[in-house]
Amino acid sequence: MDLTPLTSQPLGDWEFVWQQRQFFVEGTRIAVELTFYSIVLGFVLGLPAGVVEAYGGKYSRGILRPVGVAIRGTPILVIIAITYFAFGVSPAFLAATLALGVRSAAYQSQIFRGAIESVEGGQMEAARAVGLSKVQGIRHVVLPQALRRSVPGFQNEFTIVLKDTSIAYAIGVAELLKRSYDLFSLQTSAALEVFLAASLIYFVLTFTVNRGIEALNDRVAIPGGNY
Amino acid sequence: MTEELLDVDDVHQSYGEEKVLEGISFEMDRQDVKVLVGPSGSGKSTMLRCINRLTDIDDGDISLDGESIYDLDENDLRRQVGMVFQDFNLFAHLTALENVTLGLKRVRGMGGKAAVEKAAWQLEAVGLREQANSYPAELSGGQKQRVGIARALAMDPKLMLFDEPTSALDPELIGEVLEVMRELAEEGMTMLVVTHEMGFARQAATDVLFLEDGKLVEQGPPDQLFEQPENERTEAFLGRLTKLHGGQ
Repeated sequence: MDLTPLTSQPLGDWEFVWQQRQFFVEGTRIAVELTFYSIVLGFVLGLPAGVVEAYGGKYSRGILRPVGVAIRGTPILVIIAITYFAFGVSPAFLAATLALGVRSAAYQSQIFRGAIESVEGGQMEAARAVGLSKVQGIRHVVLPQALRRSVPGFQNEFTIVLKDTSIAYAIGVAELLKRSYDLFSLQTSAALEVFLAASLIYFVLTFTVNRGIEALNDRVAIPGGNY
Repeated sequence: MTEELLDVDDVHQSYGEEKVLEGISFEMDRQDVKVLVGPSGSGKSTMLRCINRLTDIDDGDISLDGESIYDLDENDLRRQVGMVFQDFNLFAHLTALENVTLGLKRVRGMGGKAAVEKAAWQLEAVGLREQANSYPAELSGGQKQRVGIARALAMDPKLMLFDEPTSALDPELIGEVLEVMRELAEEGMTMLVVTHEMGFARQAATDVLFLEDGKLVEQGPPDQLFEQPENERTEAFLGRLTKLHGGQ
């Protein structure tokens, strides 16, 4: 979607923001999509990685750990630049999704590993004593408890990924921040208004989704339990 | 079918340098109830855990129904040997009923309806029909342990292992668990029990085994061990225990 052509009349700065609201809405949609796909990718890769870090053998852990450490030790802007410019992933939206998703996986794996390790050893032992295999024990006994305990960490991770979608600006993805820059360059006097509008949108998104996750957390809480 | 169910033959076990079991041998016939006693660190719990292979042995052999447990599939062995834990270890995210049905469905491959029926019956047998839909955190310690017993019994085990089943309970809750265990013994379940409850040992045990420092010091019927122990260490230990945990 293109910028709405400027009227001949100069507009007040808040009027300008309001006039360009569709432009913001579109940027919001892209930011939300980026967040969604990155979080999903991070979950799909991060959960198994967390399981392997908690239960894997010497070799599988030996491979996984340094990869995670390397990713977590690299600035997101660098990861995005490598994905887009060095690996040539295109379009930019895909490159940003991959970069944010892989980095999120590296963090989510730690959330899940920690949660898995916090489940008392007796749970797995009881599962094995009944005759469940190790995989069944993980699947039916440990993970259902670990996932519940992951929610607070996951909430945090979601917030970080959502806000970090703004970095996709660096490779030209027309998300919220990129659009704010475009608008600002169109009417430089509206800098504060434009960026305030963008940050307000980020805030509303994180606030709403966090409330949603908390509601989910209450719904899946174990009755009488303290986790 | 032979009478002998369990044969523990010269079992050695160690954690690293530390020797835990040093040549333990005993047998159990069907319907035997044997009570393992001994000071803490004597290897009682380890002995139990060797029998369902939660812990591996270094040397010797253990046979169930004439077959070495190391020739059996690990999960199949565990299906045949029920275990009750000191800390209950109920699956925290599942109701009492679901704690019992999990193994029925996933290990025995029972359908949902059949598993629920069997589990409900098993919970009723330990007096917990009303609590079937409660979560572990909503149950008292005694109720939790009875769910633990029901969970193990539902698998129709040949042998039940009890690892200090009442040690984590408040005194007033011990009775209800011992009652379930006594009934189980009367019904003919083969049971190997680590406990300090000497009243239970005297009433329900066919034999008492005294373990110390990883060695089996003495074994025999409770009357013999309590009244005329051959070994003075047995006498001293059982005397102390009886004073603390009741004789009759």
